[in-house]
Amino acid sequence: MNLDSKVPSGPLEEKWSKHLNDIQLVAPNNKRKHDVIVVGTGLAGGSAAASLAELGYNVKSFCIQDSARRAHSIAAQGGINAAKNYPNDGDTIWRLFYDTIKGGDYRSRESNTYRLAQISNEIIDQAVAQGVPFAREYGGLLANRSFGGAQVSRTFYARGQTGQQLLLGAYQAMMRQVHEGRIDLHTRQEMLDVVIVDGKARGIITRDLVSGEIKRWMADAVVLASGGYGNAFYLSTNAINSNVTAAWRCHKRGAAFANPCYVQIHPTCIPVSGDYQSKLTLMSESLRNDGRVWVPKEKGDDRHPNDIPEDERYYYLEEKYPAFGNLVPRDVASRNAKIVCDEGMGVGPTGRAVYLDFNDAIEREGKQAIADKYGNLFEMYENITDNNPYEEPMRIFPAVHYTMGGLWVDYNLMSNIPGLFVAGEANFSDHGANRLGASALMQGLSDGYFIIPYTIGNYIAGEELPDVSKDHDAFDEAADNAQGHIDKLFEVDGDKSVVEFHRELGQIMWDKVGISRSEEGLKEAIKEIQELREEFWNNVRVPGEAANYNKYLEFAGRVADFLELGELMAKDALHRDESCGCHLRAEHQSDEGEALRNDKEYSYVAAWEFQGVNGELQEELHKEDLEFDFVELKQRSYK
Amino acid sequence: MPSFLDALKSQVGRKILTGITGVGLILFIIFHLIGNLTLFGDPQAFNEYTYALENLGFILYVLEAGLAVAFLLHAYIGISIWWNRRKARPQGYKKYQSKGGSSHQTWAAKSMIFTGIVLLVFLVIHIDTFKFGATETIMLNGHEARDLKSLVIATFQQPIYAFGYTVVMILLGLHLGHGFWSAFTSLTMKHNEYSALIYTVGIIFAILMAVGFLFIPLYIYFAGPDAALISY
Amino acid sequence: MADTFTVHLKIWRQEGPNEPGELVDYTLDKVNEHMSFLEMLDVLNEEIVKEGGVPIEFDYDCREGICGSCNLMINGQAHGPKAMTCSCQLHMRNYSDGDTIVIEPFRAKGFPVIKDLVVDRSAFDRIIEAGGYVSVKTGSAPDANSIPVDKSVADTAFDYATCIGCGACVAACPNSSASLFTGAKLAHLNRLPQGEPERAERTVAMVEQMEEEGFGDCSNYAECEAVCPKGISISAIAEMRRNYMKAALKGSEA
Repeated sequence: MNLDSKVPSGPLEEKWSKHLNDIQLVAPNNKRKHDVIVVGTGLAGGSAAASLAELGYNVKSFCIQDSARRAHSIAAQGGINAAKNYPNDGDTIWRLFYDTIKGGDYRSRESNTYRLAQISNEIIDQAVAQGVPFAREYGGLLANRSFGGAQVSRTFYARGQTGQQLLLGAYQAMMRQVHEGRIDLHTRQEMLDVVIVDGKARGIITRDLVSGEIKRWMADAVVLASGGYGNAFYLSTNAINSNVTAAWRCHKRGAAFANPCYVQIHPTCIPVSGDYQSKLTLMSESLRNDGRVWVPKEKGDDRHPNDIPEDERYYYLEEKYPAFGNLVPRDVASRNAKIVCDEGMGVGPTGRAVYLDFNDAIEREGKQAIADKYGNLFEMYENITDNNPYEEPMRIFPAVHYTMGGLWVDYNLMSNIPGLFVAGEANFSDHGANRLGASALMQGLSDGYFIIPYTIGNYIAGEELPDVSKDHDAFDEAADNAQGHIDKLFEVDGDKSVVEFHRELGQIMWDKVGISRSEEGLKEAIKEIQELREEFWNNVRVPGEAANYNKYLEFAGRVADFLELGELMAKDALHRDESCGCHLRAEHQSDEGEALRNDKEYSYVAAWEFQGVNGELQEELHKEDLEFDFVELKQRSYK
Repeated sequence: MPSFLDALKSQVGRKILTGITGVGLILFIIFHLIGNLTLFGDPQAFNEYTYALENLGFILYVLEAGLAVAFLLHAYIGISIWWNRRKARPQGYKKYQSKGGSSHQTWAAKSMIFTGIVLLVFLVIHIDTFKFGATETIMLNGHEARDLKSLVIATFQQPIYAFGYTVVMILLGLHLGHGFWSAFTSLTMKHNEYSALIYTVGIIFAILMAVGFLFIPLYIYFAGPDAALISY
Repeated sequence: MADTFTVHLKIWRQEGPNEPGELVDYTLDKVNEHMSFLEMLDVLNEEIVKEGGVPIEFDYDCREGICGSCNLMINGQAHGPKAMTCSCQLHMRNYSDGDTIVIEPFRAKGFPVIKDLVVDRSAFDRIIEAGGYVSVKTGSAPDANSIPVDKSVADTAFDYATCIGCGACVAACPNSSASLFTGAKLAHLNRLPQGEPERAERTVAMVEQMEEEGFGDCSNYAECEAVCPKGISISAIAEMRRNYMKAALKGSEA
């Protein structure tokens, strides 16, 4: 397998501009002769589709939702980073880059991360021009706030709905191109396979989620922007329909899956209340700007939090990390929440929660100021839990939130399958082993607005792309494969529902491939997942029929893929015998529970090549060594 | 860009027209009520007022034509909106209820079509009764005039008219209860700061109009021809 | 954990767009007050699947009240009885043992039923497509701070921009009007300096598209504002009318 990252030579600051100077262009009147498929309409897919269409390509856009405005990017609350340095607090592109690569625990590609920081400023310009109503100061200029893992205020925000506003900006840009006839938009379509002709990605197979019809779509290049795979854990902050199927089917066609074990567990979510729970709700990390995290010092202290005196509270983040306090990166905050709960200091009915207390902030700034900043989050919390966070501390607990791993891509965001580009959370590229807050929106939009539109031109200009018919053998084979998978699901005709399998997988993943992982646990997880997968294919019940709207059938296909991916995640976590970022191996931590990296042996991207499934998932490991020419690898410290 | 006429035919334009005609009709009934109150003035004040009105000549025809157009347009658009709602929701709900809160879907709002149609029918009867009703001719300040005052008093001696008018005036109040506020919103004068105020003023206005109008027939009926407030 | 209780459900079942539908009775005895309304339906669906039936189809995705997918008419109210709440954020603590709950799809000509409680809301996309954007190409934007925007203008624009496109406004409107949806996007973009140049064209195009999709007239019932999960004010509709008539007046002068 060829894992050439194609990173341009030269100084870090000049790589991207040099690359732009060097890449090939497609002449304007030739662009309309080329079709590009974009799968997914989140920030990455929506912005890519809009920008490609503006350039003149014929774009075919697909999403599983009923509208291109609903992808899960919409739920991002806190904000988007950019190195504008508007607050004059000393921010630079270098600092944003450095914070991101350090936050990722030095497991990302320097060149990609630096480019992300460079592009960050243009994204803000673009969004403002689209009419995204970011928060502003009284002078009429843009406001910023601080976010975890950074000591500057570089986060732009639109109350607690930044993802929504940015997504609607991209969606509107897309709809403008739909109006212009440049984008052919197909909603309620699920990608089930990628079609490879002469070694290049030339199309996709979809299932029409309304009619059940299997459809074939041809293009010169395919952009996959199908999001992350956090729902392998069943309970996560992802939307219920978020899934890995599109990416996983590409993986099964030869696209390498990189760093699948890097899963971010978000520290501030509403704790689980019962088995019926279908998802976990995130409370924006921005809450940690003003909220103080604590647990009672005494184990099993069941007094009401307001009755626990100050000196009997353990503000564990402030005490352990005086420099960053409550604003330590997400992985550090999550791990510490687990530690205090494991030690018996957890609160709430399940003992799996910690307090996030706004009392001091309300006393300092007044209730109105806090309501202005977090009003909608407080309402959301009260609505779900029936507790009023103005009166008593919130109860929070970590939950699976974001997956840094994904399909392997080179500097052009192209996978190892030529013509298959991967953008946003679906790729592995920029966040290393941990993503900083307010960086996901930045990455999705950077990929979609400002990287793929250029790099795809380079690919199209440089390749022979003869016309391919939809009746080509490769299309037949892929369509039959997709149909066969559906038929097989119905044929099982067992008596256990898809949701039960998903819940069981999630439990294994959370217990053994979650916040803290051990060799023993991972080995057990691999075995349990294999058994569960075996049981799934012998006992799953898919109700309804294939030729109709059938959500349980959709779920069945997605859970089948999670049952394979789950094993790969555990395998990857097992092979990575070090701790880094969100990947904490119990065997490798300092006395204080900090992740201990092993740069000598593991400073690489683990890219897995699918070989087959026969009881066990067969995957071959390939390594892309990470070279750090510009930053010095250090043990992360937020003390 | 649509032409101005096309714009008036659009959903927005129709609503604007409903608002404009509604405001016109509101102004009309204000004057109408003030005019009616002359019944309680000098013995011949009412007849002098109606005489003056009927002898406005050309201006009267313009006013009458304007009123007729406003009324018919208002009714036509109102009925067509009500008719269109079936088309916009071919299959109705098995169960439907208002959510309350900031909703103005009150009884008054829901019954606009009913109260409106009653007012339309009423208007025909009303014009027939008084504009074309038979009256004695009297001498008033040296010229002949219709003795409408006697016709009014005679008419409202009859229970069917006295109570019929009362019911219709209550319905007018209901119509105005939604209509006043709605006209402001239709005419794009809706601001969050003033919305509640306008709504309240609208309700008070509706009550004043309804009470003002229904007071006359009820008073005449119960107090009889020799009623103290009416002088001869 | 709280005790479970029982609810009686009457749920609209419809095989496909052209099939007749009906309310079907279900009784669910495993309801917990902390469940969301949709989780309650998940539990019911699990029971239906166990018994060999076909589960009830309904739209949902984020389950945190922001994606706008969920769209249930609950006891005749869009998104149920709580103000500023999506179906997915409604919790069963709002109900008690023995309650009967009628669940129907959002109904309008512009929202044809696909199956059971799932409807096609692509008409909303076409309204946006008609003009709900600022025509700015990627890469052509000036520095974000080059145009100051009055904080109060930006905040009000944001209030209107919070629309999640769920369609509750249409569903609850006795006339099935899409004026609040259309007005909200217009009120967001038209008041910002970035949206100013296209204000007239945008307003006219979106108003015309809204009518073309078969949505009804607005009678100022304000029911839409009451059911809107984001509490968007019908002042948006008044503004839409003002801008539309201004555009028409300007257009006919030209």
